[in-house]
Amino acid sequence: MSLIEIDHVSVTFRAKGREVRAVEDVSFSVDEGESFGLVGESGSGKSTILRAICGMAPVTAGTIRIGGKALPSPRGSGFATQVQMVFQDPYASLHPRHTIDRTLSEPLAIHGLRDSDARVVQALQDVGLPPGFRFRYPHQLSGGQRQRVAIARALMLQPRILLLDEPTSALDASVQAEVLNLLSRLREERGLTFLMVSHDLAVIDHMCDRILVMQHGRAVEQMRREDLAQARMTTPYARSLFDASADRMLG
Amino acid sequence: MTTLRAWLQDPSPTSRRQARLGQLWLAWLRIRRNRLAMAGLVIVGILLLVAALAPWIAPHDPFVQDLGNRLKPPGTPGQWLGTDDFGRDILSRIMYGARITLYIIALVAVTAPVLGLLVGTISGYFGGWVDAVLMRLTDIFLAFPRLILALALVAVLGPGIENAVLAIALTAWPPYARVARAETLTIRSSDYIAAVRLQGAGAPRIILGHVVPMCLPSVIIRVTLDMAGVILIAAGLGFLGLGVQPPQPEWGLMISSGRKFLFEQWWVATMPGLAIFIVSLGFNLLGDGLRDVLDPKSAPK
Repeated sequence: MSLIEIDHVSVTFRAKGREVRAVEDVSFSVDEGESFGLVGESGSGKSTILRAICGMAPVTAGTIRIGGKALPSPRGSGFATQVQMVFQDPYASLHPRHTIDRTLSEPLAIHGLRDSDARVVQALQDVGLPPGFRFRYPHQLSGGQRQRVAIARALMLQPRILLLDEPTSALDASVQAEVLNLLSRLREERGLTFLMVSHDLAVIDHMCDRILVMQHGRAVEQMRREDLAQARMTTPYARSLFDASADRMLG
Repeated sequence: MTTLRAWLQDPSPTSRRQARLGQLWLAWLRIRRNRLAMAGLVIVGILLLVAALAPWIAPHDPFVQDLGNRLKPPGTPGQWLGTDDFGRDILSRIMYGARITLYIIALVAVTAPVLGLLVGTISGYFGGWVDAVLMRLTDIFLAFPRLILALALVAVLGPGIENAVLAIALTAWPPYARVARAETLTIRSSDYIAAVRLQGAGAPRIILGHVVPMCLPSVIIRVTLDMAGVILIAAGLGFLGLGVQPPQPEWGLMISSGRKFLFEQWWVATMPGLAIFIVSLGFNLLGDGLRDVLDPKSAPK
């Protein structure tokens, strides 16, 4: 059985009489332990799907199921221990006035978990940050270090599913590789399921077992990593997307 | 001493307590480098000391009248700032008046900004009809001239310090609510709020723990800038007979009683006026310095 099922989901934003269909009738499923990628240009609705799973975007049709159960709305605290998200911009996703310690211990406090001292130290170690960073503020860290903190925060509640919204697009190339390797390692160690959004096929190729190409809010083509590596795509849009980043993927 | 300093300045503290104390130490170092803020801190410190020690350091009883000694100019031995129209020592009255001023400031500072912050952040965070109701309420309070509304409240509740404070607090919160709401609107859609919401945090935790700290600096600056106005409104209420009652040595009351002699015996109104001026200046300087200290981003790298 699939862990995440997106079943004919549409997301429509309504504002001041205007309707914007961000996602239209998209379906896919992600198996337990799998890493699934959503690719497409900006505005294709890929991030909106992640936000819809988290209850931050209005689902107007279809259902989202986690572990076979339709998600309640509002999501409730059980959802937080199952699904967590890493945001795109590590400069915006950490509270500027909270120390790393506060940021990491907040989810523990919310869920009444004990032993937060030891858990925070362990979490920093898990994402490869020295314990001396614990009481620093986000502005004292680099982009890559911040994203590590954001990953550590997402893992504090030991979720099964990690939603990754372009987790490396705000970072420069060398740091990107480090963060992607960290994510792969954590997935292996903890048996996490990834649902990852990116516009960068190279990143998706590095990280994902299966991918879904999206355009204008619709699913265009679903393929496996092998298909991608051997350029076996059937639709012209997926082909053009591949051509645009082919040189980097081969390197 | 040096080991304590090393402990406080340890770049990688080992416990939350050490980290917090270390941050306080850094804040202290930062404010100490800001000369104007230190000046403000010294003035406010002196106000606190004078208020606390008034019965021991005041040379005369502030209430005892001595009509043979009335309207003595400053510099008179024993009465260095002169005497008022009842022959009371102005220096002693200013010293005792510091207590009343401090009492009013403290009460207003803990009520109005807190109320304004809560209304503003709740309004901005929830939006929709909550926002509409709370903001219209704020508009109503803003539409009244402050002193008039304070007058109306005191007229209903009766004169006295506590009621004057209540009236001032009730008229002072709307600007704080506006400031807090504007900041909350920019904060509530940010990723870090989305992240903590995703972790299952409820609205009270998000508002108090995540939104309020972002609004605090601008509110604190407003509070310190408003302190002069608060002292003056308290004085105005006293002048109209609706605030602090004579013979209490409240500074505003002293100014209004000295108004009659302003041209011949200038010191009766000027001395308490100087006290208000210096204390207001102190609060303003301190507020400016606090803003720099409260923002960790301005910390030295």
